[in-house]
Amino acid sequence: MKNNAFLLLRTLLLSTSSINILKHTTDKKKKGRIIGGFVGLALLYAMLMAYCIATCAGLCAQGLGDSVPAFCVMILSGLALVFTFFKTNGYLFNFKEYDMLMSLPFGSAAVAGCKFLYMYVKSLPWYLIISYSMMGTYAYFTGAGVLPLILWFLLTFFVPLIPMLAASLLGFLIARISAGFKKSNVVQTVLSVLIVLFAFSIRFILEDVFRNDKVEQVLEKTSDVTEQVIGKYPPGAWFANAVTGGSILQALLLIAVSTGLFLAVFTLVGRSYRNINSSLKNHAASGKYRMTSQKTRSTLQAIAFKEFKRMMGSTIYATNVGMGEILVTLVSVATLILGFDRIVDMVTQNAPFDHALLQPAIPFIVYFFIGMVASTVCSPSLEGKNYWIVQSLPIEKKTLYQGKMLYNMYLTVPFALLGTLCMCISARVPFLNAILYLILSVVLCAFSTAWGCVCGIKHMRLDWENEVEVIKQGVGVVIYMFPNMFVVMGLCVLTVVMGRAMDHKLVALVFIVIAGALTALSYRKVLRLSRERG
Amino acid sequence: MSDKAMLEIRNYSKTYGGEKKAADNVSLTVMSGDIYGFIGHNGAGKSTTIRAVVGVLDFTEGEIFIDGHSVKTDPIACKKITAYIPDNPDLYENLTGIQYLNFIADVFEISAADREARIKKYADTFEITDALGDLISSYSHGMKQKLAIISALIHEPKLLVLDEPFVGLDPKATFTLKEIMHEMCERGTAIFFSTHVLDVAEKLCNKVAIIKKGRIIASGTMEELTEGHSLEEAFLEADHEE
Repeated sequence: MKNNAFLLLRTLLLSTSSINILKHTTDKKKKGRIIGGFVGLALLYAMLMAYCIATCAGLCAQGLGDSVPAFCVMILSGLALVFTFFKTNGYLFNFKEYDMLMSLPFGSAAVAGCKFLYMYVKSLPWYLIISYSMMGTYAYFTGAGVLPLILWFLLTFFVPLIPMLAASLLGFLIARISAGFKKSNVVQTVLSVLIVLFAFSIRFILEDVFRNDKVEQVLEKTSDVTEQVIGKYPPGAWFANAVTGGSILQALLLIAVSTGLFLAVFTLVGRSYRNINSSLKNHAASGKYRMTSQKTRSTLQAIAFKEFKRMMGSTIYATNVGMGEILVTLVSVATLILGFDRIVDMVTQNAPFDHALLQPAIPFIVYFFIGMVASTVCSPSLEGKNYWIVQSLPIEKKTLYQGKMLYNMYLTVPFALLGTLCMCISARVPFLNAILYLILSVVLCAFSTAWGCVCGIKHMRLDWENEVEVIKQGVGVVIYMFPNMFVVMGLCVLTVVMGRAMDHKLVALVFIVIAGALTALSYRKVLRLSRERG
Repeated sequence: MSDKAMLEIRNYSKTYGGEKKAADNVSLTVMSGDIYGFIGHNGAGKSTTIRAVVGVLDFTEGEIFIDGHSVKTDPIACKKITAYIPDNPDLYENLTGIQYLNFIADVFEISAADREARIKKYADTFEITDALGDLISSYSHGMKQKLAIISALIHEPKLLVLDEPFVGLDPKATFTLKEIMHEMCERGTAIFFSTHVLDVAEKLCNKVAIIKKGRIIASGTMEELTEGHSLEEAFLEADHEE
């Protein structure tokens, strides 16, 4: 049966391999999209590599080279924990080919274990790039010997395992609890959000603890934080000690514990795997409906409502797209309770500057959360095999996309207004400025919606096996999300700089015009794409 | 017909969300060489029963045995001798047809010579040999259905379970599948399938069970059930009485 498990893993990887599609497809457009995807991915890998090298070079230049292995393990573990948690539901449970796999002679634990390993192998390139970039920088600056580098090279494969297992176990527990409820998907979504909020508050608690240490230099603080985290996370310490002290025993300990935990977790998961999936995938019709008077909706409203139901029906879709709205609400409430100044102090580590300078950046701070992932980026692809429904409807494609955009506006605008309003009240922003910031927030929502739709249509992929492929790994999502995040961070800085030289109202007006123009261009592009691909 | 019970369902019940019983005390036996039809309205409990038989759906009440092995306690042994074709097969779309068939053949440890012979035989019969090198995503619904059928036949199962197997097949493929089912039954394979097409069931099956609202309301040999009438008449009568 062990051979069968490897066979299953190999087939799972092959079934989502772009190289396999490239080899066998005759569709030239598809080939072009795959090659374009490879190029985009290579660019992202290069950016990530450059970022890791620069960070580690900074640490080494400050004489903190010995902290690099611990820093690396902290980054790898943190990323593995967060990204796995968001993917667990789609990969381990509720997947499309469940019936086919479970009717074959595989044990439940083998199917669950293979699904986990599949998720591990798919995310491994990211971890390898981060780790090996840091390893190279560390070797260059510290002149590390061969043995530490060999250990680093090998242990990189094991470092993400434990946090991934922890996230999967958490996902499993959520699924196990949700399976006992009639509306299991809703319960699963709510529990996932609660866990994220808890993790989010832990981050602030940790920051607060470290802030009390009054470490002033950023790099020294990074090193200190790393050491403290590693001190509380034994596998991290094993990796750091194996690399810096050449301890083969600690290297073996990391390998043994990771492997042992993997076997233990999937023996446990295997026991109730079929039960959980049976509950999550099957719902009996209540048969109690009685015909009542029905509401009518316009076509656009009907499409927007369909999008709402689609999002609520999928835990992974709801948690990924709705997280920004939840976080902005949390930040808004925190701002009202703690005050704008205190929040700014927490984030900037009590940096001595006039907090009023940050006021023009308020709409962009809110947009940083709200615009994280627009529903319009993934909703065209999420039509998947149901695409025939909208294709066969007597509506133009532009109406379909307008409906999708309308839903994203419904989703984002109330939260953007709430966030902006709370921050403006808390920061005592003058009335007229606050009005302009509220307008800018709405325009930014419109931009996020329209630009997201452009990315979503241009990189629409209907033949996905698992919705994780379009929600978390889709080319459209990557192209939308990364530039968006970096540009918004840059814009926050730019507004502050401009705010020092210009009236804040004028700064807001300039950005309203720019964002409005970009929105109009994106919207026109959506209309053009819907004509071309109609 | 052999007298060996290949599939035994004893007092199987399945409840969703602690409320409605999708299957209620279902009991039936499929012997080697039987072609057993499972008929009922939409939502009657056919797929719920079939998915429990093939080990996909978890259940707590009742027992299901395949060739003497319990689906609950020894699922792997059961699956090794069973093949399942769902009504709407979800195959790996980004594999080619031949890659998918090889995957299934590998899982069932079919030798290279045997798999080549069987794939050729069935792919030629269903006229999809030329398409085996293409990605499954490029297949029509009927072609996917044919591929799923070939993957089910490739390991020569002792029990073949099919959920609405004729949906989406062209007339020729439907005829071919019926011929294959007859051949398999002559070799001693037990076949258990659900269908809405009563004419097909009447011509193909030697035994039938009718399920309504999760309960078996009539079962037996075709002769016992129809008593000289058509299966359609027997079905409507049983349905009306309940």
